[in-house]
Amino acid sequence: MLKDSLNASSPETASVTQTPPKAPGTGRPGAGEKTVARILTMPGQLVSLLVLVAPLLVALYMSFTDWSPTRGSLFEAEFVGFENYSELLIWDTRFVYAVLRTLLISIACLSLEFTFGLGLAVLFMRRFRGKSVLFSAFLTPMMILPVVVGYIFWMLFQSSGPVNQIMECILGPDVALEWFKNAPLAVTAVIVTEVWHWTPLFFLILLSGLNSVPENPVRAAVILGASPRQVFWRVIMPMLKPVIIVAFVIRAMEIIKLFDEVFMLTRGGPGSSTETISLYIYKLAFNDFQLAYGAAAAFLTLIGSLVLIHLMLAPVRNQLLEAGR
Amino acid sequence: MQTKKLSPLQWVLMLMALTVTLFPVFWILMTAIKPPTDWNASPAIWVPSEPTFVNFKTLFDPEAIREYGVGGVSQSATKAVFGSVLASVTATFLSVLIGLFSAIGISRYGDGNKATPLIILSGRMFPPAAIAVPFVIIFSNIGLTDSYVGLIAIYVAVTLPFSTWMLKSFVDDLPREIEEAAMIDGLSRMRAHLTVTIPLIKGGLFATTMFIFILNWSEFMFALVLSYTNVSTIPVQLAKYVTATAGTLYGVQAALAVLAMVPLVIVGYLIQGHLARGMTFGAIKQ
Amino acid sequence: MSAPKLELVDLVKEYEDGAVVAVDGINLSIAPGETVALLGSSGCGKSTTLNMIVGLETPTSGDIRIDGKSILHLPAGKRDVGLVFQDYAVFTSMTVKENLAFGLAVRKTPKPEIERVVAETAELLGMSDRLNAKARELGGSELQRVAIGRTLATRPSILLLDEPLSNLEAEARLAMRRELRRLQAETGLTIIYVTHDQIEALSLADRIAVMNAGKILQAEETTSICERPDHVFVAGFLGSPPMNLVRGEVSRCGETASFSKEGFALDLPPGAHLEPGRYALGLRPEALRLVPADGAPLSGVVSLVETRGSEAVVTVEAGPVRLNVIAPAHGRPAEGENVGVDIEAGSLVFFGGDSNRRIEAYPAGRTL
Repeated sequence: MLKDSLNASSPETASVTQTPPKAPGTGRPGAGEKTVARILTMPGQLVSLLVLVAPLLVALYMSFTDWSPTRGSLFEAEFVGFENYSELLIWDTRFVYAVLRTLLISIACLSLEFTFGLGLAVLFMRRFRGKSVLFSAFLTPMMILPVVVGYIFWMLFQSSGPVNQIMECILGPDVALEWFKNAPLAVTAVIVTEVWHWTPLFFLILLSGLNSVPENPVRAAVILGASPRQVFWRVIMPMLKPVIIVAFVIRAMEIIKLFDEVFMLTRGGPGSSTETISLYIYKLAFNDFQLAYGAAAAFLTLIGSLVLIHLMLAPVRNQLLEAGR
Repeated sequence: MQTKKLSPLQWVLMLMALTVTLFPVFWILMTAIKPPTDWNASPAIWVPSEPTFVNFKTLFDPEAIREYGVGGVSQSATKAVFGSVLASVTATFLSVLIGLFSAIGISRYGDGNKATPLIILSGRMFPPAAIAVPFVIIFSNIGLTDSYVGLIAIYVAVTLPFSTWMLKSFVDDLPREIEEAAMIDGLSRMRAHLTVTIPLIKGGLFATTMFIFILNWSEFMFALVLSYTNVSTIPVQLAKYVTATAGTLYGVQAALAVLAMVPLVIVGYLIQGHLARGMTFGAIKQ
Repeated sequence: MSAPKLELVDLVKEYEDGAVVAVDGINLSIAPGETVALLGSSGCGKSTTLNMIVGLETPTSGDIRIDGKSILHLPAGKRDVGLVFQDYAVFTSMTVKENLAFGLAVRKTPKPEIERVVAETAELLGMSDRLNAKARELGGSELQRVAIGRTLATRPSILLLDEPLSNLEAEARLAMRRELRRLQAETGLTIIYVTHDQIEALSLADRIAVMNAGKILQAEETTSICERPDHVFVAGFLGSPPMNLVRGEVSRCGETASFSKEGFALDLPPGAHLEPGRYALGLRPEALRLVPADGAPLSGVVSLVETRGSEAVVTVEAGPVRLNVIAPAHGRPAEGENVGVDIEAGSLVFFGGDSNRRIEAYPAGRTL
């Protein structure tokens, strides 16, 4: 599986190089099917090849060397085999912590975003006034760019900022929290920001899933004696499973790459206590100029996320493929 | 079955959620119109006593920016706005154009469906920092660092899977017979695609274009590592202000943030029916 | 499990504050163990009626009673009524077994009891070897069995079937029809069966209730409803081809009455108890005979001949009136031929021009 996923890391090349099936009703004038198919997909393949595949190969090669820009050309660098990789996995606690932290943030964000998104979607299955206006309003956060979201929450979480003001109103005057000077609080701030930013996506996806649930199985369950709760959990949710998994996978991918918001909020601080994988790789490469080492970290991340997402998709792969057809 | 009405308790929950959703937006809008005296007030001021647009003016006035002591990055935001528009618009156009061809090719001639979900997902999974590293190296060798050409090339490549698969889902919705009928009428394959397929997915094309624009306009990391002095975009400029002043330039930063988000929110509302499709690579159609 | 009696009393369902009347005052009483078909074209209100019986929709007025007791206050699922949907609505995420067990599982029935009932039901439907199959892998008639079995497993006393055969292919449809008849016999359930296909209704039901525009026009034994339609709509709906209907005027000239419309006239047999006025005349295709044109009560030109095995449906254009006649296939006329049409004695049927109801023009006992 790993092998074909790696092959697959460039979207266009992998999918279009297969021979197209013969469509019925051929033999019309002009260019043939194969030629047309090739002309149509060529630019995409070319761009992917030059701008994604080539750099990836360079990075892959680099990850097996000890190159850094201060030491001359990449091709003169010493080949060190898996040294970078073993270093990362065995000795680099900062990397391991970044991975664990990213996973923790993923789990927290996904479960909270799912819960809030589902709750809101269920509310939107009911009848009420102003539905379309409220629908748009609830989507607003996901339309704002990550950097700005990070900046907004950086302001909100200042020690004299509104979050603390509100908390003082509720909990009494002495709760002035220093959100960015305390590791657990800083991670919490990151999670809150992410959840605010991306709950609308879950809401949107789950609502469209709920709306497309066929009516009759639900009615059938009611007639068979199921309570509304049983109908929801035993009939509706299983039908939503593919949609839910798609939502989880897509969000998981984005959180694994989480960078912009954390960069604006904490820069990984205090210390390295909010460093995500992406932020750590960024610092390795562009602050410390350990480019080869950073590339190795990136490939480890890629392999890890491929395995993770493969596992997440396993239960619904067949359904997704059917839907794709 | 009749859909039930929202109960009062549910209304309360809904309004609470709405408050939480809109409060941060309210905050950035209020901060953007705060006069400098209100910026650093402690406790923070929620609604400025004298709303002003001076922050937006400051943003485009190098002299004013310098007065606030942003020495090292004494730039106005003019270049960043220009850079964002140039890079996003060009990259969006190219990405959608190339993606459109690929979409028709894959939808009509490929059996790219077998490994589709995994392929598109893995393309998006690679940490951008790692793609950025080789880019920096390659670009510095061919002189594309700190150039819009380099930035646009990356934007196109990164958004291409989105534009391709989103457009493919629209082409898939179109029955093949329509093109085949045109071919029977004597059009060549290519002409049939250009004159029949494309006009029929106009709506989808618009939605995709807007969606890709959102992605490009929001991009931060590539711009951050590939820009020095010639190239700038709004997100990078915002990060620079925050870095240079430890964030104390509240009003001006907020004004820039508002400038950055207003076009996206407008575009986002325009295509809200297609957002799910875009975010899920066309897997979920609405 | 003795089957109960079901009564629908003045049942009305309106939508949009009365702007749309889906069901318009239905009265129907169904005896224990009886199978009644609700027959009508789509949109006539038959599905709405089922939904009200089962509790998915609340009637605007009227009552639904089981064994004399109103069930309107009971929510769907507590009415002891099962409904099988036209599209089966099988839970595709579950296996066959989980589908069959669903109704019992949600009622917290003990496990061994569920196992037993599921096994029994699967046996009854011939699905014992498919219990572990995923529902989404099943074919049409298997889905149908699961849908029926899932309902039967909850032991309803009344079973409602909404177009149970219309999503099946022709061959499966025949097999399933036989199957349904067997189930009907084995379970002894009271069944209401909604369909737009009269052949289905005729072959499965004890009684047929023909519905149109929210009203039951006639509910009668399967055997007699075709021969003695009570309403002009029923007459024009049942039978293949259905009864020929001609709208026209009855006029009297002394003792003889005649029926006419522009370009068409028919002298009525003597003794008709008909006031002059507007009527619809019904002529069953089976009661018409082709004869030589000379001296026949009606004559016209053959415009279409359709053979159906040993018999043929011959369409005769008699002036402005088009009559379907069933004739033996051999010796059938050619298209374009001039033929006469004779009418079997005692077969004329009249419907009131305004009421559309059948009128006894020739009281029983009189021969024509």
